[in-house]
Amino acid sequence: MLRDVSIDIRKSETVALVGRSGSGKTTLLRLINRLSEPDAGSVMVHGKPANTWDPIELRRQIGYVIQDAGLFPHMTVGSNISLVPRLLMWPAEKIAARVDELLRMVGLEPAEFEGRWPDQLSGGQRQRVGLARALAADPPLLLMDEPFGAIDTITKSELHAEFTRLKAMLHRAVVLVTHDISEAFALADRVAVLHDGQIVAFDVPAAVRASSDPRVAALVS
Amino acid sequence: MTLVAFIASHRDEFAARLGEHVVLVLVSTAIAAAIGIPLGIIAARRPSIAKPIVALANLAQTIPSLALFGFLIPLPFLGGIGTRTALVALTLYAILPVLRGTITGITGVQASVIECAVAMGLTPRQVLTHVQWPLALPSIVSGLRVAVVIGVGTATIASAIGAGGLGDYIFRGLAMVDSTVILAGAVPAALLALACDAALALAGRLADPRRRSPCLAIALATILAVSAGAAVWASAAAGGGDVIVGSKNFTEQIVLGELVAQAIEREGLNVERRFNLGGTAIAHQALISGGIDTYVEYSGTSLTAIFDLPPSTDANQVFAQVRDRYAALGVTVMPRLGYNNTFAILVRKADADRLGLKTIGDLNTLPNARAGFGYEFLERPDGYKGLSASYGLRIAGQPRIMDLNLIYRAVASNEIDVTAGDATSGQIASLDLAVLEDDRHYFPAYEAVPLVRAPTLLRYPQVAEALRKLGGAITDADMRRMNYAVDGEKQDPFQVARAFLDKIETHAQSR
Repeated sequence: MLRDVSIDIRKSETVALVGRSGSGKTTLLRLINRLSEPDAGSVMVHGKPANTWDPIELRRQIGYVIQDAGLFPHMTVGSNISLVPRLLMWPAEKIAARVDELLRMVGLEPAEFEGRWPDQLSGGQRQRVGLARALAADPPLLLMDEPFGAIDTITKSELHAEFTRLKAMLHRAVVLVTHDISEAFALADRVAVLHDGQIVAFDVPAAVRASSDPRVAALVS
Repeated sequence: MTLVAFIASHRDEFAARLGEHVVLVLVSTAIAAAIGIPLGIIAARRPSIAKPIVALANLAQTIPSLALFGFLIPLPFLGGIGTRTALVALTLYAILPVLRGTITGITGVQASVIECAVAMGLTPRQVLTHVQWPLALPSIVSGLRVAVVIGVGTATIASAIGAGGLGDYIFRGLAMVDSTVILAGAVPAALLALACDAALALAGRLADPRRRSPCLAIALATILAVSAGAAVWASAAAGGGDVIVGSKNFTEQIVLGELVAQAIEREGLNVERRFNLGGTAIAHQALISGGIDTYVEYSGTSLTAIFDLPPSTDANQVFAQVRDRYAALGVTVMPRLGYNNTFAILVRKADADRLGLKTIGDLNTLPNARAGFGYEFLERPDGYKGLSASYGLRIAGQPRIMDLNLIYRAVASNEIDVTAGDATSGQIASLDLAVLEDDRHYFPAYEAVPLVRAPTLLRYPQVAEALRKLGGAITDADMRRMNYAVDGEKQDPFQVARAFLDKIETHAQSR
């Protein structure tokens, strides 16, 4: 589906992949943590070809957030966030402190939210927990697939503000997939526009906005 | 109230049967879980093999239970008679619901949740243990629930192959036409099903992570451990006889079983009873395979149904033929008990009187006669086809196939007009039926003969002694009277047999 795609993402920058559904943006994202494998070409992650990484090892260094958060319904908020640290056998105090820290970071009061079940949360709260979970083991790279896709407009703008604040604080690479180009402009340092499996524009928001390419213009308007 | 009184008066036996029943269900469900859950997990991960596996389990489910027992009995290791075969059959039935519950549970986990787990760097095993398994658990438990409830019901049929359980009462009650005895099996089985269902509903709540509580888990584990322990103890308390006496599943056979069992007990041996075996083939297999040591067969039945020889009306010739054939199988034919239980063609007495029916040939004057027979009678060479040809019967339509225990009632209640029953059945008198005379001597001799495994006789010569005392001691009238005491007067077969043995003993002493 993807053809002749070449893209590089620098440390501590946020890149948005924008396009209509079927444009290949999610596939491109999934190549990074090896949820999909390329038929041809190569993907380099942390300076090493992805296919030479042990997939488990690779994924533990990449945070992953999807639409509606994909929280485990049988675990409390605290257990969701602490799953990977627990699998990595962190000491209990370190895990507790990390969960506390992460919940505060995403704007949820630990005492109130740690013991809740995912279905006792609003959509926005679930998304915040999903982000906290992705950050649990402090991965240098964060992948987000339509993280704000299923959220109402007011909550979405709240989360956007939150995201911008966190981005400044965290200094890490983020790849964000969205079909909403204004979201991409608002959150990303650089925006890649995909169309039919090809990258038709890849630049800072102002430059993409000014592009004369009709395939880009169609999204911008 | 009579039900409570019956159970109270049969306390020890009842506890043993209940124990056997619980053990059958628990063990078969446990084996089914050990097979079905891993299989379900594999199938859920590889949809290509899920279809054939479920189809196979489905197929096992569709085999009627008695037929399944029939297939299993001749098999080595799995088959034979008794608990092991019953467990195999019950396990086969329990696998499908467990398998389905597991597959539904595992495949029902949201794809996005699995994707997140994979993307977070969980290994396939961790995805299974941390995500799929806990989320599938409620569905797996409900599969187990279905398996257990089906198991409690199906285990009643295990009685037909000598595995005991509450089915013993149901079959005995059917044979004796005594609804109290039927209920003594059916009501506790239903209560047991409800209790198991409730216990597993509790387990299902435990499987829900929201309500998981250690107290509940401990309570459930205790209930399970105590009931399993009690069941094993109760069923173990019943076993352990020197000699195992079997019987087929109708009143006369149960009375004969008691007569033989008590006669052997009077010689000082311990006897285990495996009554109500579900038919001639099963009883024969049980004897050959050592599942039972002795039972009473009818010479004509052995000749035609077991050894596939043409029927004969010469009683002595039949006895000699059968004795030789059994000797080749390592079975000793003991002296004949004295009476001849041939088939009797039965109609309502009212019809016989009204139309003047005397012989089997007179059936042709019975307008629009509807016939119904036990399945054996329809199949065996000395059964319906030959009878029909021999007397030139003109009965329109296919005869109905009915349970041997229900045919007498079916005639009495006007469901059918004619049937073939046992000449010595107590129900002939109690239900007001008439026997049509076999004036063309179509039916061969069916003399009652005790059969004993030769090794048993060598080990326990007292068995031969006991059976010698019974030889020639029972007349047609004696047998009909004893059958009627059970069927008509609702006496306990144990008591009826004891009274008869007392009588022949005093008779022998006074001589």
